[in-house]
Amino acid sequence: MRRRFLLHAVLVAPLLPAARPAFAAAVSPLELAGPIAQYKLYVLDEARQLVERTERFTTAVKAGELARAQALYAATREPYERIEPLAELFSDLDGAIDSRADDHAKAEQDPDFTGFHRIEYGLFHEKSTDGLAPFADKLLADVRELHTRLQDLTTPPDKVVGGAAALIEEVAATKISGEENRYSGTDLSDFQANIDGSKKIVDVLRPLLQRADAALLAQVDGNFGRVNAILARYRTADGFQNYEKLSAADRNGLQAPITALAEDLSRLRGTLGLD
Amino acid sequence: MTDKPRSGGCPFHPGTGPVAGRRGLMLGLAGGGALLLPAQAKAQPAPAPLMQSPPGRDAGAAGTALPFYGPHQPGILNPPPAAGLVAAFDVLATTPEELQRLFRLLTGRIAFLMAGGTPPAADPRFPPNDSGILGPVILPDGLTVTLSVGASIFDERFGLQALRPRQLVAMPRFPNDAPDRDWMHGDLLLQICANTPAATLHALRDIIKHMPSLLRLRWKLEGFLPAGLGDASAETPRNLLGFKDGTANLDPADATLMDALVWAGPAQGEPAWAQGGSYQVVRIIRNFVERWDRTPLREQERIFGRRREDGAPLGRSAEHEAFDYADDPDGQRIALDAHIRLANPRTAESANSRILRRPFNYSRGITRAGQLDMGLLFICFQADLRAGFVAVQERLNGEPLEEYIKPTGGGYFFVLPGAAGPDAYLGQGLFPA
Ligand code: HEM
Repeated sequence: MRRRFLLHAVLVAPLLPAARPAFAAAVSPLELAGPIAQYKLYVLDEARQLVERTERFTTAVKAGELARAQALYAATREPYERIEPLAELFSDLDGAIDSRADDHAKAEQDPDFTGFHRIEYGLFHEKSTDGLAPFADKLLADVRELHTRLQDLTTPPDKVVGGAAALIEEVAATKISGEENRYSGTDLSDFQANIDGSKKIVDVLRPLLQRADAALLAQVDGNFGRVNAILARYRTADGFQNYEKLSAADRNGLQAPITALAEDLSRLRGTLGLD
Repeated sequence: MTDKPRSGGCPFHPGTGPVAGRRGLMLGLAGGGALLLPAQAKAQPAPAPLMQSPPGRDAGAAGTALPFYGPHQPGILNPPPAAGLVAAFDVLATTPEELQRLFRLLTGRIAFLMAGGTPPAADPRFPPNDSGILGPVILPDGLTVTLSVGASIFDERFGLQALRPRQLVAMPRFPNDAPDRDWMHGDLLLQICANTPAATLHALRDIIKHMPSLLRLRWKLEGFLPAGLGDASAETPRNLLGFKDGTANLDPADATLMDALVWAGPAQGEPAWAQGGSYQVVRIIRNFVERWDRTPLREQERIFGRRREDGAPLGRSAEHEAFDYADDPDGQRIALDAHIRLANPRTAESANSRILRRPFNYSRGITRAGQLDMGLLFICFQADLRAGFVAVQERLNGEPLEEYIKPTGGGYFFVLPGAAGPDAYLGQGLFPA
C-alpha cells in the first residue's frame, strides 16, 4: 500500500515516511550560531524599518491626512508581521502594538485597546483621524521600545527555529479567514509578511536543513512557492487587493499548502536536534 | 498577534506526526492492529429492541473493535453508541489522482483507528504521533467511521460527473427550514460514532492531522445519546423533547429488508460502483425546548402519537405493540397529523418509504435570544432517496411538530460501498482500475 501512496504522492503532501529516519541526526548547537546571528541581523533591520515606517504613518495620522494614513497602514505593519516570532516575546508590547478588539472586555471602546488595530478602526471604520493622535504617539513609542529591546535580546535558537512554524500557525488561525485586519481588509499583506518571515528562517537554516533532511526542505520550498504564486495574483502597484477579493477557489488553494507547511515546519526543531 | 491560545502552544497541532505515524499505520494494517483487550462479539440477545440505549463505559465496551472490512461500511446497522458526530469537509485535492490518494489515506486511517492499538513512539523532539487524548493505548471503544460523499464531489473538478448516484443533489430547502449556509453540504462527510465523545474526537483529530493538504473542515456537530439504566439494551433512548426516539425503526438484523430499503445499487438504477452504498440524510433540527416545556403533556403526546412515559402508541398498551391505523381511520386514538402517523402511515403503499434512522441529540450553546440551542442531529439511511427520506419529509411538511422544531442545516450524502479487504479502499469504484 505504501508503494502506491508514493506513486501518487503530489508535492503539497507532507513528507512520506520512507524519506526520513524516524530519529533525525542532530545538528550540533554550534552550527546554529551562524544562522541565528544572521537572523538576528534581519530582525534588527526589520525593526528599524518598522520604526521608520511607523514614523511616517503616525505623522500622517496626526496631521489628519486620512487618505495617506489609510494608504500607509498595511505596509507599516509588514515588518512587524515578518518578525513576530521574536517581537512576540515581549508580551506587554505585543498586546499594546497588535492586539485586536476581541482581546479586550469592552472591544473597540476599551481604553486598553491600542496599537495598529485601534488606529485601523479609526481610519477604516470611523473613516476619521479624530482622536487618534494619542494612539499614534503611543504606537510610535512602543515600536521604538521594541527596537531597543530587540537589540538587547539574546536570541533563543528554539524561538527562531520554531518561529517558522509559529508564523504559519498565525496564518492558519487568523489570516486565512481575514479576521485580523477586519476594518481595512488588508489581511493579504499580513499574510505575505508572515510567509516571508517564515521563509527567511528557513533560508538562514537552509544549509543545515539541506543536510539534515533535504526532502523536507524541498517539500517546504514547494509549498512556499505555491502560496506565493496565489498571493501574487492579488498584488497591486502598492500592496494587495482587499481580502474580500480572494476567490473561494484561491482560498482553498491556499489552505492546502498552508496546512501542509504547518505540519512540515512543526518538525523543524526536531530535525535540527533542538529540544 | 497570535490568536487566543498564546504560549507556543499550537492549536492546529494536536499530535500525531506524519513520519512514524504513517509507518505505524502500515504496521497496523499488516499486523491487524495490536489490541490489549479482546474484541467482543457484537451480537445482541435475541429479544432486544431495535434501537438500544448505549452501554456505559466498561473495559469490555472500551476494548470492542468493530469490523471495518466488508461489502458495506460500518456505522449504519450497529446500534448507535453514546457519542456520534458528523464532520463535513471541502476537498482541497484538485486532481483525480489526489482525490484517489485522499480516499486511500482515509481508508488506512479509519482501518487503523477502528482496530486500535499502540501508536509508535516518536523522538520527543518531534510532535508526538498521537494526540494522546485516549492515553498511550488507543482502545477502539466501538468506534465506527463512515465516509460519504456529497453531490459536489461529482462536479467538474475530478471528472466524476457521469458516476454521480442518480438522486444525489445538494439538499433542497423544505418549507419549515431556515438553512444556514455555514452548516450545510460538503464534498465529504464523516460520521464518527463511539462509546465516548473522547473516542470520536480522537478519531477526528487523527484524520485531520493526517490529511493536512487534502481536506478543509466545513462544519461539525457532536451528538450524544443518554445511557440507559441497568440493562441498557432494554431501553429506547430519549430525545431532547423527552420522548423515546427509535422505537419503530427498520430491523437492521433483517438482511432482506436492508437489501430492499437501505443498500443502494444497480437494482435502484444506480451506477455499478455504488453497489452496497446508501443515501445518507443529515438534518440539524433545532428543538424549541423552552416552549416545549411549557406545552401540556396531552398536546405533546398528540403531536407525536405516542405516550411520553413509556413510548406506547396512544390508545395501546406497550411500546413495541404491533399496530396499524386500519381500525382508527378518523384519528380517534392517534391524530391524523401526528408525527408517527404522517412519518409512517403503515399501509402497503407506504411500506417502501420506510427509512433506517440513526439520530443523536445535540446541544451547542445558546441563541442570541438567550434560548438553548439544542435539538436532533437527525441521520437516516435509505436505498432510494426520493422514495425514502423525501417522501417521509413531504408527508411531514406542515405537521404540528413544526411549531417546536426548526431544521437549520445538514445535507444529502451517499455512503460509499465498503472496503472489501486490506487491499481495497473506500471509493475505489470511482477510479479506473
Ligand atoms: C426534531 C425532529 C424530530 C423529532 C423530535 C422526532 C421524534 C420522533 C419520535 C418521538 C418518534 C416516535 C418513536 C419512534 O418510533 O421512533 C418518531 C418516529 C419517527 N420519525 Fe421522527 N422526529 C423528528 C424528525 C423526523 C424527521 C425529519 C423524519 C424524516 C423525515 C422523521 C421520521 C420518523 C419516522 C419514520 C418515525 C417512525 C414512525 C413509525 O414507523 O411509526 N422524524 N420521531
